[in-house]
Amino acid sequence: MANVTYSRVCKNFGSVKVIDELSLEIKDDTFVVLLGASGCGKTTLLRMTAGLETITNGEISINGVRMNEVHPRDRNIAMVFQNYALYPTMSVFENIAFSLEIKKLGREEIKKRVEETAAILNLTDYLHRQPKELSGGQRQRAAMGRAMVRDADVFLFDEPLSNLDAKLRAHMRVEIRQLHDRLKATTIYVTHDQVEAMTMADQIVLMRNGIIEQTASPDELYNRPASKFAADFVGTPSMNFLEGSIESHNGAPCFSNKGLQLPLPPDCPAKAGQAVICGLRPTDLHPDENGPIKGVLRFREKTGAETNLHFSSMDNHLIATTSRDQEIGIGANIAFSIDARRIHLFDKNSERRI
Amino acid sequence: MPWLAPLVAMLVVFTIYPLIYNVWLSFHEYAPLKRSLVYVGAENWITLFGDERFWSALSVTLSYFIVLLVVQLVLGMLIALLLDSDIAGFGVLRGLLSLTLVIPPAITGMMFLLIEDPEFGVLTFVLDILGVLDSTTPILATSSTALLGIMLADIWQWTPFMVLIFIAGLRSLPQEPNEAAMLDGASALQILRRITLPMMSKVIAVAVLIRGIDLLRAFDYMFVMTSGGPGTSTYTLSLYAWQQTFSFIKWGYGATISLVGLVIVLLLANLFIYFTRVRW
Repeated sequence: MANVTYSRVCKNFGSVKVIDELSLEIKDDTFVVLLGASGCGKTTLLRMTAGLETITNGEISINGVRMNEVHPRDRNIAMVFQNYALYPTMSVFENIAFSLEIKKLGREEIKKRVEETAAILNLTDYLHRQPKELSGGQRQRAAMGRAMVRDADVFLFDEPLSNLDAKLRAHMRVEIRQLHDRLKATTIYVTHDQVEAMTMADQIVLMRNGIIEQTASPDELYNRPASKFAADFVGTPSMNFLEGSIESHNGAPCFSNKGLQLPLPPDCPAKAGQAVICGLRPTDLHPDENGPIKGVLRFREKTGAETNLHFSSMDNHLIATTSRDQEIGIGANIAFSIDARRIHLFDKNSERRI
Repeated sequence: MPWLAPLVAMLVVFTIYPLIYNVWLSFHEYAPLKRSLVYVGAENWITLFGDERFWSALSVTLSYFIVLLVVQLVLGMLIALLLDSDIAGFGVLRGLLSLTLVIPPAITGMMFLLIEDPEFGVLTFVLDILGVLDSTTPILATSSTALLGIMLADIWQWTPFMVLIFIAGLRSLPQEPNEAAMLDGASALQILRRITLPMMSKVIAVAVLIRGIDLLRAFDYMFVMTSGGPGTSTYTLSLYAWQQTFSFIKWGYGATISLVGLVIVLLLANLFIYFTRVRW
């Protein structure tokens, strides 16, 4: 039950600036995902929150109390590490019980709470085992148990699923989110996996080179990315980008790239003549014989449910995601249309959304 | 398996044959008049168990072993924990640690002979000032302090060995469990006791085993510093076996004593391995 506030937080490692004047407000009970490529500073930010890294400048506070000088053990934060960090010489029971023993809780109380936690995580049969006798998924759950058993104010997850196979990862995503809904504790979750971010978060904080690129709900991040970077980072396959300019056709705005003309919504804020980057999500492109986007199919990529069509259109390489029933031969001419409202426009210079 | 032949040959020549010969020798004795070894049955063994000097040597060896193992273990761990930080200059200190290990123990013995000299030894001087020991009491020539005087040399020379092994161990430990324990609310002392030391148990076991075996066959320092004296107060099993064999030319009896030493080392080492569950 805590609000976490970052105000103008900086972190330097020597002369390298990892976090640059980052400000962020995380509200009570929300599940926030810090999303970004490796090296963007998301793990550093998490470790600073936990107190495992010092803060070069700025302030981190929890419930209004400045945390910069507070020792990690006094912050009441629970953290799940990427490699689980289980105590290798202790059984699962002892691992989960450790924080309670430190708090000097009674034997019975500890036993009760550990067993409750284990039951939630399906670990009851493994309580006597050593960490090395567990599978990856079980270790992951033991690490979560260790965090859960405490009544922590804030839960931190540092890429906890990155060592699991795809199937288990999908399963654990749901479990972690359900756990949060049940515990209602403020959660900060670091990942580079946009699917994890999209499926789990109440709020996604997209980071890039130590600064926040966009803070938004998953829907908003996907539907209204604030910049070309955000648009590119989220969504599989990545968004198609076309450089061009805004033109006016009979008073209606339209995007023009070489021979391609895409009508824009009438209320489009872009000015005529403005140099822009136009973003088209592959899933928004629909096969349409009379569509404005014409090209030649170069490559087909089947993912099972869908087929990604790689095609070239006026020297541009584009991808469209279509239903798996589309059987088009390589080299065939294809055409697509797009709902004008689904077109994303970014300023060519600033790469910010128009 | 012909490729094993050289190894087996080495083992036979240098280990198995001497061992068997040693056992054989313990049932014989050198007869000076006949100038040959004669069979004496279990006489050496019977003598041994009634030999006060043997029991005294055994007790000196075991005291030396226990005291030094504990001191070097604790001191080594404390210094290792201290030096295992990134404070400027500590790297140099860690490097300097290996210096004592390249000095031959006999030379260390000579050094400490001078340090503890009753006339001009610096330790005698300092202890006198501190009022711990009167300068009229020669450390190495007083039966109550001679063994302590020798232990100092051993501590000085071999504690750094423990430190090096422990630092290597500490450095190879994963950091995350410590961090997790910190977030779990544990204090530095609790982390050391509950997390770090248990994770170090294998390293500690190896250090104890290596040092323990060394300590049980202690010889050099006594040989150089006191020759076992005053009286028999610093006679260890090895030194006693050496004296019987080479000074008194009682080859059979010397072999018997060293065999007992070997049995004690094997017994303690294997008990230790069994109880600490060290798996190699």
